[in-house]
Amino acid sequence: MSTLTEAVRTSTSGARNRRRAGRVRTSGSRALPAYYWMVWPAVIAFAAFHTIPVLVGIFFSFTNYAGYGDWSFVGLANYINLVKDDLVLAAYGFSFLFAIVATILTNVISLAIALGLNAKIRARNFWRGVYFVPYVLAILVIGYVFQFLFSNSLPKILSDIPLFRDNILTNPDWAWTAIVGLAVWQACAFSIIIYLSGLQTIPPELYEAASLDGASPWRQFGAITFPLISAFFTINVVLSLKSFLQVFDPIVALTNGGPGTSTESVTLLVFRGGFSGGEFAYQTANAVIFFIVITIVSLVQFRVLQRREADI
Amino acid sequence: MTLGGCAVTPDDGVTTLSFFQFKGEALEDFNRIIADFEAENPDIRVVQNQVADSETLIRTLLVKDKAPDVITLNANGGFGDLAEAGVFYDFSNEPVLRTINRAVQEILAELGNKEGEVNSLGYVNNANGVLYNQDIFAEQGLEIPETWDEFIAVCDALEAAGITPFYGTLGDAWTGMPSWNGIGAYAAQDGFFDELRAEGENVGPDSAVSFQKDFQDVMAKQAELFSYMQDGYRGQMYDDGNAAFARGESAMMLQGIWAVNQIKSINPDVNVAIFPYPVPEDPDDRILVSGVDVAVTMAKDTPHRAEALRFIDYLFEVGVIEDFAASQNMIPSVIGAELSDDAALQSVKPYFDEGRITGFIDHQVPPSIPLTPTIQQFLFDRNADATLSTLDNEWRKVAARTIPVTGDDK
Repeated sequence: MSTLTEAVRTSTSGARNRRRAGRVRTSGSRALPAYYWMVWPAVIAFAAFHTIPVLVGIFFSFTNYAGYGDWSFVGLANYINLVKDDLVLAAYGFSFLFAIVATILTNVISLAIALGLNAKIRARNFWRGVYFVPYVLAILVIGYVFQFLFSNSLPKILSDIPLFRDNILTNPDWAWTAIVGLAVWQACAFSIIIYLSGLQTIPPELYEAASLDGASPWRQFGAITFPLISAFFTINVVLSLKSFLQVFDPIVALTNGGPGTSTESVTLLVFRGGFSGGEFAYQTANAVIFFIVITIVSLVQFRVLQRREADI
Repeated sequence: MTLGGCAVTPDDGVTTLSFFQFKGEALEDFNRIIADFEAENPDIRVVQNQVADSETLIRTLLVKDKAPDVITLNANGGFGDLAEAGVFYDFSNEPVLRTINRAVQEILAELGNKEGEVNSLGYVNNANGVLYNQDIFAEQGLEIPETWDEFIAVCDALEAAGITPFYGTLGDAWTGMPSWNGIGAYAAQDGFFDELRAEGENVGPDSAVSFQKDFQDVMAKQAELFSYMQDGYRGQMYDDGNAAFARGESAMMLQGIWAVNQIKSINPDVNVAIFPYPVPEDPDDRILVSGVDVAVTMAKDTPHRAEALRFIDYLFEVGVIEDFAASQNMIPSVIGAELSDDAALQSVKPYFDEGRITGFIDHQVPPSIPLTPTIQQFLFDRNADATLSTLDNEWRKVAARTIPVTGDDK
C-alpha cells in the first residue's frame, strides 16, 4: 500500500513540478521526474523478485532447512560438504564440458549461417524466418520430439552404427553429445539474430574496396567482417556460455540426468537434490557457489574478449 | 466459523476443501467419490487438485505454507521425511485409524512419523512381484517357480520355445527398481537398513553391513533376469512394455500390480497374475513386497479440520474403499473390505492374509541418493562392484552432511 500511495504522491507532485519548472528545464541538471517513476517500479520489482529471494537463499544455505518444518543453523557445514561431494564435482565437470563444447559449436555454426543469411541469397527473409523457428518453440516439446528421434527413429535408420542402434541416450559416455545437439540446435537461432544485426552494421563500401584490392573472401572475413563484429562476438560468447552452464530443460527432456548420473548438470542437481531429495539448504549452498562461479566466469570472459576487441 | 476460514462464502455457508491428489489414474474415481460425498454433505465442496509432478508440488506448497486440506500421496521415503518434519495432522485419536489393517499402518510407521504421532492413513496397497501371463504359462506347461533355479529354468524353457521371458523398458529409469526391491527385500530382512543407518559415515566394504558386503547376490540375480530381456530393452519405455505384454509378446514382466490396469486397457482378455521373487532356498520363506500406494493425510493447521475429517471418514467407508480399490486394482486397507475377483489380486491374497508382506526397500534409502539412475546404469553396464561402492559412498556422504534438527537447543 505504501508504495502505491508513494507512487501517486510522486506522480502528482511530479506534474506540479513540471508545470512550475517549464521554463528552467533546459538549464536544470536533474532529469525529469517522469524518468524516476519509470525506473522505480523496475527497481522495486527487481528487488522483490530477485534480490530479496537471493538473499533469503543465501541465508538458508547456512542452515539445515529441508524446505519445510523446523531448522537450525549449521554454519559453513553445507559448503564444506559440497566441496567433498564427488557427485557435485561431477556435475560441475559435466556442466563446464557441455557449456564449452556447446558454446563453440553454437558460435561457429550461427556465424556461418548468419553470413549466409546476410548475403544476397534468394528468399532471404524466408530463410531468416526459418532459422528463427527453433527459438520460438518450447524446448520441452522439441525435447520430446528429439527424444523420440534418438530412441525410436535413429536406432532404425542408423542400425549399422552400434552407438545409435543401442539408443545414444542410454550410453553413459556419449549421451551428452545428443544433449549438445539439441541445445545447439535451439540456441543457434538467437545467436544468428545477434550476428545478423552485427553484420548489418558493416558498411558495404569496405567490401567493395577490399575486392578492388583483390582480397579473397577468406581474407575479407578475417580482415573486415570478424573484427567489425567482435563486440557482437563477445556478447554472444558470454551469453552462450552463461546459459549453457545453466543447462536444464534439454537434459530433462532427453535423459533426465541419466544414464546413472552421467548427464547431471549443476542446475539439475540443485533442483533434484533440493526439491525431490529434501536437501533444500545443502543444494541452496550449491546454488550460491554456482552463482559466484558463473559471475566470475562471465566477468573474466568479458575482460579477455573486450581487450581483444580493443586491440583492433 | 472463524475469520480465518476465508474459503467460506458468506452467503451459502459452504466450506471449500482443497483436496491434493497425486494419482493421475485415480482422477475419475475421486471425481465420482467427491460427487457422492458432496450429495450427502451439501455444506462441503471438495476441489480436486491433480498434477503430474505431485511430489515436487507438495514440497513447494509446504515451503510456501499453503498446505492443502486433504492430501493423498504415494507412501515413499520422501513421504516419510515430510511426515517426520511434522507438517501433517496427528490421527492417533481418530476413530478411523482403528478400522485400518495394522500391517499397513506398520509399513507407514517404518517410513516415518513425527515422534509419538500417526501422521497418515494407509488407503490402498500394491503388490510388487513378477507379473506373468497365465495363458502362456498354461500353453507351455509351466508352473509358478518356487525357487531361483526353477525361475531360471522357466526363463530357459520360454526362450527355447521362442517366447521372450521378460519385456524390459529401461528407457524409463525407474522400471529397473521393482526387481531390485523384490530381490533386495530378502537381503534387507534382518534389520539391514537399521544397521546401515547406525554405521552412517563408516559404511564401506569393511563395515559390519554395507551394500558392497550384502548386496552382491542381489545384483547378480537382478542382472541374470535382465539377460532374458528382449532386444532393445534399453531404450523401450514403460508404456511400450505394458502394450507388448498385453499383446502376449513376453511371458513375464518385472512389475507390480499397478501395471495391470494399463495392460488390461490394451487387452482386456489377458490373464495376468503375480508371484513373488523366488529368492530364498525354502519356498515357504518367500515374501511379497507391498507398498502403500495411496496414503491419506491432511495439513496440520488446516482451518477446516472438522470438514476434512468428515471427508476422510467417508473415504474409508467400506463400500467406498472397496470400489476404489477394485477400480484401481489395489488391495484396500480397511479391515473387512473385500478384494475384487481379479486374478492378479486373488493371487496375492494369501500373502496378505498370512502377513507375508514387506515394504519397498528403496524407501529406506534417502532420496538425495540417486538410487534409481545408479541401478539403471548397473543394468546397462552390469558392473556390480562399481554400483555397490557408489551406493556405499553416497550413503556415507549423506550421513555425514545430514545434521538433524535438534529443535530447542542451538
